[in-house]
Amino acid sequence: MSEAAKLARLAEEPYYLPLADEVAVFRSAYEARLPVLLKGPTGCGKTRFVEHMAWRLYRDTQNPGAELEVPLVTISCHEDLTATDMVGRFLLQGDSTIWSDGPLTRAVRTGAICYLDEIVEARKDTTVLIHSLTDHRRLLPIEKTGELVPAHPGFLLVISYNPGYQSVLKDLKTSTRQRFVSLTFDYPDREREAEIIAHESDVEPAVAERLAALGEKVRNLREHGFEEGVSTRLLIYAAQLIERGIPSRRAVDAAVVQAVSDDATVQQAIADIVDAVLP
Amino acid sequence: MTALVDVEEPLALFAEGITGRYYHIKAVGEYSGNRMVFDPARGALTGDALLLPETFEMDDPACYRVLALEQLSIVEFGTLKFSMAEARLRIPALEPPGEPPITDRASDLERFFNHVSRPHLLSRLFALCERVRLNAQVRDQYPGIRRHQDALHAVLRQSAPRGDTSSVAAILDGLGYRVLGGRNAALESHPLAGALLELMLGVARLDADVFDSARAAHACYRLCMASAATAEAGAVLEEDLDDAASWLQRDVRLEDWEEGLKQMNGLILAAETAEGEEAVAADVEGLSDGDIRPADVDLRALSNERDVLARRLDMERATIRDAVGRPRPDARSYRYDEWDYLNRSYRTRWCRLFEERLAPDTQQDLDALRHVIRRHRRAVQSQLEHIKPQGYQRVTRVADGDELDFNAVIEARGDIRAGLTPDERVYSRRERVHRDVCAAFLVDLSASTDDPVDPPEAVAAGAVEELANLRDPYEFPVAHDEPAEEPRRIIDVQRESMLVMSAALEQLADSYGIYGFSGYGRECVEFFVAKEPDEPFTRGTLSAIAGMKPKRSTRMGPAIRHATSKLLRSGHALKVLIILSDGFPQDSDYGPERGDHEYGVQDTAKALREAEEKGVETFCVTVDRSGHDYLKRMCPNARYMVIEETRDLPGALSKVYEALTG
Repeated sequence: MSEAAKLARLAEEPYYLPLADEVAVFRSAYEARLPVLLKGPTGCGKTRFVEHMAWRLYRDTQNPGAELEVPLVTISCHEDLTATDMVGRFLLQGDSTIWSDGPLTRAVRTGAICYLDEIVEARKDTTVLIHSLTDHRRLLPIEKTGELVPAHPGFLLVISYNPGYQSVLKDLKTSTRQRFVSLTFDYPDREREAEIIAHESDVEPAVAERLAALGEKVRNLREHGFEEGVSTRLLIYAAQLIERGIPSRRAVDAAVVQAVSDDATVQQAIADIVDAVLP
Repeated sequence: MTALVDVEEPLALFAEGITGRYYHIKAVGEYSGNRMVFDPARGALTGDALLLPETFEMDDPACYRVLALEQLSIVEFGTLKFSMAEARLRIPALEPPGEPPITDRASDLERFFNHVSRPHLLSRLFALCERVRLNAQVRDQYPGIRRHQDALHAVLRQSAPRGDTSSVAAILDGLGYRVLGGRNAALESHPLAGALLELMLGVARLDADVFDSARAAHACYRLCMASAATAEAGAVLEEDLDDAASWLQRDVRLEDWEEGLKQMNGLILAAETAEGEEAVAADVEGLSDGDIRPADVDLRALSNERDVLARRLDMERATIRDAVGRPRPDARSYRYDEWDYLNRSYRTRWCRLFEERLAPDTQQDLDALRHVIRRHRRAVQSQLEHIKPQGYQRVTRVADGDELDFNAVIEARGDIRAGLTPDERVYSRRERVHRDVCAAFLVDLSASTDDPVDPPEAVAAGAVEELANLRDPYEFPVAHDEPAEEPRRIIDVQRESMLVMSAALEQLADSYGIYGFSGYGRECVEFFVAKEPDEPFTRGTLSAIAGMKPKRSTRMGPAIRHATSKLLRSGHALKVLIILSDGFPQDSDYGPERGDHEYGVQDTAKALREAEEKGVETFCVTVDRSGHDYLKRMCPNARYMVIEETRDLPGALSKVYEALTG
């Protein structure tokens, strides 16, 4: 099996450190086929959590989708993403056209988990499209072919969004939000974040602890042009650079200081915090 | 040499990052309290500000970060968690407790010092031990700061007394020198000084807390008192006991008291409700008046207790204000340059501007405000109708849409015939057009806006019609006998204009912020936020606009510079700053001579030009009829308007807005 196929198949367990009862809630939601909404800031582990859950759920031979090649279909939403991109389109072939399923339709037919990342970024028509998949009907209407696709028993819809940085205009519609079981994520506390950083980058625990302490302090400045604070992902990037021999201050400068803000004063303040927190 | 003003902004962010809350960074000279005693070379921490020396004789700005961390460590590493009750449990040698009288508002730290016969000595010993403990914590949690701290302490040592063994005071100096990392061999070999040193350095452990410092200080105190040299121990330490940590502890305690008062109010409200229900029940049961129920007594006792606590809270607040200066816990402060036209140069970071939310006026009848909006809405909206985007525009060559784009289809067919891969984007679709505008309205809240609008306004024709329609025709003549209303003031008209404009801009879906400004002197320019551009318009916005009140002076320059920086951060393509004022800029120290307004006019003109250079469209609207005189010099490209009839303000504003953003 190629590396890409292994990744798509989720052959190995994606690492995820549970912070509360999210694993149990997600499992129960899946068993009842209740769609799930994940809320939380960028880089706090939402996508990793879905991968981890897909791995857990689809390794169970009782799961209707256990033999799937691709148990998790992820769609990263953006403002040009249309319903066509998700459902499918007619492609030209010679003088005729053939229908090609989009990723959402593929997941609905095969029984995979379909994960719509940052759903509010997508155009409004796409959010309405998923409504019939989220209630008792579990149907996907394909307007262009006139087909009504019933969802495979293994199918589940998971969406995520980030309430922090969205403007009022980009908030998720109530009619959409109220169709999901919601799980709220935030950055882990210092100890657990250090554990995650150490696991993901193989740096010494002491280095991971310092990076986690740094994350905690920098997040105190969330309101200054970077509402998200620094993500666990960025701290892991810094740790990976350090692990490969880049001096710690330089690594943090590249992965954190320059990444979280373009404002010179805020950058200066973060660099000062780095200077104090790192040995 | 490093100056505090040069590092103030990043230092404030640094402190916020470290502690998670905002502190104003102020020079020691800006301390406006009367009682707090602190070392001006090291600074102090109050409830809302970090006081630091104005300059420091090191070229490395890191020196200020070390000083800041040393002060902030008082909060971060638990000095304020000291309580007398726990101290008695942890330090058996303390004298038995005496219950403090209810009127005693001393902090726990003060009570600890005062429970011995020489409080000053204990206070000083505690400060030394606690500094040793805090330094150990700081160096562990912030390892990067160690080298800067060593450098800073080396500089501080140069001016610190080395101490000797001639007296207790000299020994304490020696201990202070040791805290800064200096060694004094004579001290270490002296029996008393050596023992004190050992106790003091014993708290340099990561598992030590404030009670360990207190225990060490208390043990040191007993050693001092037992030694022969102690006769002069109290006499040499004459200074007041008003150390910064004690005041800070009292300041923090205010929050607990406020919480207690809130809870008590809740209890009283619940008891009153229950009593009301009982009274109804008593009427039914036929109980006579004057019967006292246990509930009455409870309620009375509770009310008394509440009143005592409320008075105590007020007194404590006033005392702290007197001791450490006026707090501004909800404000953020910024520094701005000022243009000195006489010297043709900027005075760098000359003004301090406090930004805070406008306190909402909860007494104001919101329906009356909505009525104002309704009265002007039609006129203003018809004005702004011209610039409203026409809904949608059609985009061609997209992959998905409601119509085929024939040009693209023909090209695609051509490509297929030619054996090429066709472009799939053969559709067109309608997309909503957005205006990318951010406007800031800056309203002058100087004291003069309290003046009545002169001459008294005639009621607008439309309004008369509307009022007449609401009234019964038979009662209409009676209305003439009603007492005359309060004369309308300039601030009323300004407020109404903001209400009307915000309602209109909501319709237009433009981003807009509403701000007020006033202040007194260069160290206190006040900038009030009624609404930020990214906030929705809510009831809270209405009451915040209603809360715009006449305040003090009109230092326009810093307010314009601050509004400009806000607009630049908004990221919108078109940025507009509209200033509403009632006269020329003036402030107590805005220019070399009182009464000479040219300095203020020139600084404002410069601030407006700076905004224009940064891509912000500016416009001044004034109700000062003599405004032509200075506005011509103040506003670039004659971008100003003098309103002859104050009641025209909302209409005039919408015209200005249309011209600027249309």
